[in-house]
Amino acid sequence: MKLSLPPGVSAAAMSAAFTDFASVVGAQWVLATDEDRQTYTDHFALDESRHAPAGAVVPSSVDEVREVVRIANKHRIPLWPISRGKNFGYGGAAPRLKGSVVLDLSRMKKIEVDVENGTVLVEPGVGFYDLHDYLRKNNIPLWISVPGNSWGSVAGNALDRGVGYTSYGDHTSKVCGLEVVLPDGDLVRTGMGAMDGAPTWQLYRYGFGPAWDQMFVQSNFGVVTKLGLWLMPEPESVYAIDMELDKPEDLGWMVDVLAEFRRDGTLQQAPSIGNWLRAAAVLTKRSDWYDKPGLLPDSVINAIRQRFGIGWWSASLRLYGYRDVNRAYADVITKRISAAGKVEIKTKEWERGTPVPPDPFMGYPITFPLQNANWYGGRAAHVGFSPVLPPRGDLAMEQFRRTHAIYTRYGFDYHASFAMGERHLTNVNQVLFDKDSPEMVKQANAMFIELVDDATRHRYGEYRTHLDYMDLVASTYDFNDHALRRLNEKVKAALDPNGIIAPGKNGIWSPGYEGERA
Amino acid sequence: MKKLIALVGLAGAACAAVAAPDNVPLDGRALFEEKCAMCHRDMGMGTGLLQRRMDANIARLENRTDLTSEFVVMAARIGIGNMPRIPRGEASDAELRAIGDYLADSATRAP
Ligand SMILES: Cc1cc2nc3c(=O)[nH]c(=O)nc-3n(C[C@H](O)[C@H](O)[C@H](O)COP(=O)(O)OP(=O)(O)OC[C@H]3O[C@@H](n4cnc5c(N)ncnc54)[C@H](O)[C@@H]3O)c2cc1C
Ligand code: HEC
Repeated sequence: MKLSLPPGVSAAAMSAAFTDFASVVGAQWVLATDEDRQTYTDHFALDESRHAPAGAVVPSSVDEVREVVRIANKHRIPLWPISRGKNFGYGGAAPRLKGSVVLDLSRMKKIEVDVENGTVLVEPGVGFYDLHDYLRKNNIPLWISVPGNSWGSVAGNALDRGVGYTSYGDHTSKVCGLEVVLPDGDLVRTGMGAMDGAPTWQLYRYGFGPAWDQMFVQSNFGVVTKLGLWLMPEPESVYAIDMELDKPEDLGWMVDVLAEFRRDGTLQQAPSIGNWLRAAAVLTKRSDWYDKPGLLPDSVINAIRQRFGIGWWSASLRLYGYRDVNRAYADVITKRISAAGKVEIKTKEWERGTPVPPDPFMGYPITFPLQNANWYGGRAAHVGFSPVLPPRGDLAMEQFRRTHAIYTRYGFDYHASFAMGERHLTNVNQVLFDKDSPEMVKQANAMFIELVDDATRHRYGEYRTHLDYMDLVASTYDFNDHALRRLNEKVKAALDPNGIIAPGKNGIWSPGYEGERA
Repeated sequence: MKKLIALVGLAGAACAAVAAPDNVPLDGRALFEEKCAMCHRDMGMGTGLLQRRMDANIARLENRTDLTSEFVVMAARIGIGNMPRIPRGEASDAELRAIGDYLADSATRAP
């Protein structure tokens, strides 16, 4: 992949910046060959060239990060910070703005665990596997929460508001204290970390005065170099309630029942109600079932459900805690659910002292969900479409019907889940497509735009999106003629006058990049 | 605070190998465990997809007897099929070569 330059930057300025970066991190950690650029593009993208980086720089310490940021200011080079850069479905390691230099923090891998208080302070390069293995090797009775693609990083995932399987699965809500390099190279610690040496940095979030943790989440206001996170103390028991629902309509009442348990705190974990394609797309290819284009007929859907013993929808609830308490809650939950509608329920229990199975619901990292990339055969991929709804069954059913109709019209296999938050419902849809079919890529893009449009008409906004759609989604947050954008961009201009850190991330731009907003 | 036990460590089994000075050979197995095993042992994405195009008992890279170091390095760096490319920030050329040598050397590798 040839060198791309950001707007207003000459090849000479880029080359001078690379030389200066090399003087800080060492020449072997400035990665700017054609091959290097290719490795930092988005493997899953509709069009990889749209977000081509100029190269990458790979510092090993916070001091090096600060120097790199200062050099970037000097040469006006935009940087795109990543932790491990495995943000598949949302852009991988690739920058929003073509020609940015990826600031790859994956060599920074320090882990500090406070066993007694159940917290960890990680550097950005720490992967879910790294942290999991570290805790197990040192016999530390703390569990992590992992996402469906656990190849990424603890910090990067939380910084993009990623979600996981356990009751600690709203990762960004478990963040407690950050260390951040600001766009001018200054270094700040948030919360109690603002007091040098405070033993409460990972224990109390707010500190004194404004609390800034969320300011550095889904933003481009700084480079996070350390992230504090609460971990789950290994519970006495885990109670599993796995449910299969026979009909598409069963989504409605299930959402209503689960919403109540989430509101009153009976259920601490955010279960996700996913359709039959979730399992099928991971375990098989489409051509194993059907060799024609167009929609899968009901007979095929039934065959898939039969093979895997799954419903039209499946949902997995988990209770973590004392055995007797879990059992009491499980009794209440299963009775209420069985009374509300027809459902197949399977339960099982795990107890402390017995081996922990390789189960993401118990903090075991996994990569097999990535196999769904192969659903259409060849080099397939996906983008995620995830609007946030009120937690109401009738609204969920309407959202499902409209989205399903759009997928049907464009000829894509419907792949969706509804994740139950404490006061909201996130409808995560994966648009699976074959990267090597230009027609399908075109259709996927058109469908995505229509999906956003449809959600916006109902005033549902997305919680997170792919690089290609950051401006589109940001534009749907439109109260008072986009007052939030004005605020974000005022903050951006104040902190980052040269527009160095991640221009365009989440639709936030700086002066000088006016033409770049999509 | 009296019982605060703070453990400080570097992640992954392979850190000692990674930090080794130039004259100490890299430990290919440890590097494989740190950077590839999540996809190329049981339950991994790599094993899962490779067994769609080869015999299940050789879908784990460590069970293969036909891999060359060059092929492994190329597959990891350039990417192959649905395997995402591994950048040099994650595994240096020397590290990938050590992993390639480990995978190519089926004779001394414990199954
Ligand atoms: C099949 C499949 C299943 C998936 N399942 C899930 C799931 O269950 N839950 C989920 O959350 N995601 C899921 N994903 C999406 C994604 O793969 C994960 O969220 C992954 O953890 C993100 O990669 P990462 O951790 O390496 O983050 P990164 O790519 O490192 O970071 C994500 C973004 O955050 C910002 N950022 C990162 N680090 C910093 C920093 N230090 N300072 C400032 N900004 C920073 C950058 O903008 C970056 O692009 C899935 C993807 C696929 C393909
Ligand atoms: C995120 C998961 C993932 C990781 C991590 C990963 N791989 Fe892979 N790998 C795959 C997948 C998937 C395939 C199969 C690609 C296909 O056929 O579409 C594969 C295939 C391969 C192949 C080709 C085998 C063949 O005979 O065709 C080699 C060699 C390989 N990987 C080496 C590595 C090495 C070395 C590493 C670590 C540096 C690594 N992989 C890390 C997912 C992964």
